[in-house]
Amino acid sequence: MNFVRNLVWWLFFIATAVCMQTLAPSLDVFVVGIFILLQERDYKNMFWLLPLFVLLQEGMGTRLFGGVIVWYAAVIIFFKIGQWLFEVKNFLFVFLLSSCLIAPYYAINWLMALLQNLAFSPRDTLDRALIQALFLPFAWISFALTRHLTMQADGSGQQ
Amino acid sequence: MISRRILIIAGIVLILFLGMYTWNQRTRALDTLASTVGLEVTGAVLASMRAVQDGVTAFWNRYFDLVNVREENEHLKARLKEMDAKILAVREAQEELKRLRALVQLPLDESWRSFAARVLSGRMGPNAALDSVTINRGYATGARPGTPLVTQQGLVGRVFRASPHTATALLVTDPASRIAVFTQQGRALGILFGQGAGKTLEVNFVRRDAKITRGEILITAGLDGKFPKGIPVGLVVNVSPSDYTQFISIEAKPIVDLQNLEEVLLLEATGLAHSVTEPDDPPPIFVGPPAPHAAAP
Repeated sequence: MNFVRNLVWWLFFIATAVCMQTLAPSLDVFVVGIFILLQERDYKNMFWLLPLFVLLQEGMGTRLFGGVIVWYAAVIIFFKIGQWLFEVKNFLFVFLLSSCLIAPYYAINWLMALLQNLAFSPRDTLDRALIQALFLPFAWISFALTRHLTMQADGSGQQ
Repeated sequence: MISRRILIIAGIVLILFLGMYTWNQRTRALDTLASTVGLEVTGAVLASMRAVQDGVTAFWNRYFDLVNVREENEHLKARLKEMDAKILAVREAQEELKRLRALVQLPLDESWRSFAARVLSGRMGPNAALDSVTINRGYATGARPGTPLVTQQGLVGRVFRASPHTATALLVTDPASRIAVFTQQGRALGILFGQGAGKTLEVNFVRRDAKITRGEILITAGLDGKFPKGIPVGLVVNVSPSDYTQFISIEAKPIVDLQNLEEVLLLEATGLAHSVTEPDDPPPIFVGPPAPHAAAP
């Protein structure tokens, strides 16, 4: 039962994330899923969800394959570094982490534009990085709440 | 010891990533996989979302939003009568155009056919660097890479990447977009460049002696065969001669409102060549258009 609930929640997450990404250009909602997977240390689900997130983001994007892998690798590395210093399941940690992710977001966009000979606008990229950083903590709260409610509904939530 | 191990692992991962990146750049295998899976799933989710959105909007409009419907209905009936009259007039003009084209032996351009597509979303995800939209047609339903997109107002862009039922289209405003254009009145040839979303377009390589006025319409030249000839693309907003080059600098704004796109038309090449050769027979003697049906005995 718990497995089914978990699967249904992740499918709900993916569908909602795709729809939410239409709200603002270059917004990445799947990062919230990675936060949740890392916070729960759910590496079994990460094994299939992470490649799926990469395929979805690369598929709906317009750059050559590779940028999203570097971006998600940066997210995981920053999360692991933060894990040594902070308690990971609170708003402040997610807020700090998303603020720190502005730098890799900007750097990866610059690097990929350079590698693929694309136009790079520093101001637009910075704007998008800031929107992403402001959006992530609130999206994380909403998704974490729905996940908590779903997994605890029958008193057999994931520990 | 640990830091050395971390460095070795990081080095191996970097080499593997660069290997994958260059292999993909050469073969595009991973791009094809990502397009087929990622874009298809995205399209399916967004199409469902739009269907629900349409259903809710239609329900709202049908049952709740009935204020002023009677007055609007009467107004629309009056407009319909007016439009019927205009359609009759236009039909007559169209028939006349057909006859005149036949007289001067200009073949109708049958080399393109159009079909509609719905815009599902704008630029999506962290990997969406180019100014683009996602549409609900893919290579299995007519949106192959390179297919031009238009609206009734003018050119929108072209299909950039496609999965079986969903595609991403590059807009004319993207800095990677290059289109050969003519000015409608002066017939001056130039290359139209995008400068990014919400910014003006730039026309380069227009000769200095070309007569171009503000407000003039830019149309596709059709020289590359990628776009049909004569589709409006932009409106000239500024013309300034350059002091340093032999060309003039032209700024234009897109003729289509690219921020609020809902439906587009895809133009598919039919394979019928547009005749550009000289006709073998001499042109027929001009005797004027045939008499309208109503006047014929």
